[in-house]
Amino acid sequence: MYLTKEEERIYDGEHGWANQTCMKILVRLGELFNATKLIPIESAHISGVSYKTLGDAPVEFLETLADADGKVRIRATLNPQSFDPEYLGKRLPEHIREKQLNILRQFKKMGFTQSLTCTPYYLEKPKQNSHLAWAESSAVVYANSVLGAWTNREGGPSALAAAIIGKTPDYGVHKAEDRKPNILVDMETPFQNETEFGALGIYLGKILGDKIPIIQGLKDASEGELKQLGAALATTGMVNMFYHDIRPERGRIEKISVEAEDIKQTIEKLSTTSKTKPDLVFVGCPHCSLDEIRQIAKLTDGKKVQAGTGFWVCTSRHVKKRAGDYVRQIESSGGHVLTDMCTIVSWTETLGIKAMLTNSAKTAYYAPTLNKTETFFAPLKQCLKEVLEG
Amino acid sequence: MQQITLKGRAIVEGRCKAQALVSTQPISFLGGVDPTSGKIVEKNHDLHGECIKDKVLCFPHGHGSTVGSYVLYSLAKKNIAPKAIVNQTADPVVVVGAIIADIPMIDQIDINQIRTDDVVEVDAYAGVIKILTKRES
Repeated sequence: MYLTKEEERIYDGEHGWANQTCMKILVRLGELFNATKLIPIESAHISGVSYKTLGDAPVEFLETLADADGKVRIRATLNPQSFDPEYLGKRLPEHIREKQLNILRQFKKMGFTQSLTCTPYYLEKPKQNSHLAWAESSAVVYANSVLGAWTNREGGPSALAAAIIGKTPDYGVHKAEDRKPNILVDMETPFQNETEFGALGIYLGKILGDKIPIIQGLKDASEGELKQLGAALATTGMVNMFYHDIRPERGRIEKISVEAEDIKQTIEKLSTTSKTKPDLVFVGCPHCSLDEIRQIAKLTDGKKVQAGTGFWVCTSRHVKKRAGDYVRQIESSGGHVLTDMCTIVSWTETLGIKAMLTNSAKTAYYAPTLNKTETFFAPLKQCLKEVLEG
Repeated sequence: MQQITLKGRAIVEGRCKAQALVSTQPISFLGGVDPTSGKIVEKNHDLHGECIKDKVLCFPHGHGSTVGSYVLYSLAKKNIAPKAIVNQTADPVVVVGAIIADIPMIDQIDINQIRTDDVVEVDAYAGVIKILTKRES
């Protein structure tokens, strides 16, 4: 791999340990995946912010980097943490809060923007064809497939290294020839709601591995539906991107077809029980857009959340601020619009939550192990019908 | 028994000899592996309930959460990580985890040749795996 004089100096440790460690991670990755150089990136987005999923050992790694003067060279945003400061933060033990706040202090010291969202593209949309180093897998697929930006699915530490160096190795979907679709997915029937898009992602992720599909029949899909599809694809696969708006070039391409029965079965498997009553309804994985919050506000208008059931809507601070009236509407119905956090990386067991109803396939897939809850997977309208009365 | 040697690509250097634990399914280290015990907890996984500590963990590739790299690092710090990782295709998330956790790793191996409980020798300098003792089958 070719390194510039300056990159070599960083590699040799002339800019300190933090820079050297980060450069070594990038060069190692680059050499493995046959990159010939490092390329500048517009932004980095880091996963591994929640104390719940990180645990103690990686925090020491972060502290060492921050103490060694690791500083981001470009715009670098953070994934959600394990609670929101207002609602959950006040119900959790002091030692948990302190550990989480310490993680945020380390990132702040390194210069990260405290975005605390898995949808950084709602804060600032990356430019078309710009190179990024993003770790949050749902955001990676969205950036490549819907926004037209270019990023590999970075592991948490390599996105962190890219943020500090300001560059990423030039491999994978940073190269035009490696963004070509290599499989065509034919859909039997058009989809009715977001859970079917999520289920399609879960189903295809298992089959595709790291292939890049053209998925036909998504012409009328909304951005929210494509977001659900992408999040789910990255949950069960190594998928970086999909195409939904192009036709295959002439020539041979592998073809598979997905039947209505495959989707139906996937949806059924994403619910672990039909008997227990959910004690939490959770919407906002990935974080809600302004439009999704507006939709939820409309559906909750004039209704009340049943006693004994929690209703959480997760989004970023940025979107919540812009959604003032909608937020007031949801909260007057008894729901909570929570920022900075994601339910699957939050302390739901500590709060006694045992059964979760969600419209997110990604959440339904992870919650049984990460949250130790039973799950029900249903479209937004049905989720709200379950939780609202009046 | 004739010794079987498999040649792949060295990813993280190192050498070890241990029992293999082989899956036909991809693994997500976040959510799929319990970081306190090293046991596979993903529902319906063919290794559900198995402990990855000190094994040569063979699986096709990683999937899912990019926090998986940090989970590997945590497992290594708690001495409950696998002795080596052997993949068919390297997932960047697993690669970065193995790099920072310093777990020997090889990819481009036909893992179907390896059975759980086979004793294998991993040479992750040369990218070579030797199956020393085949499990009685």
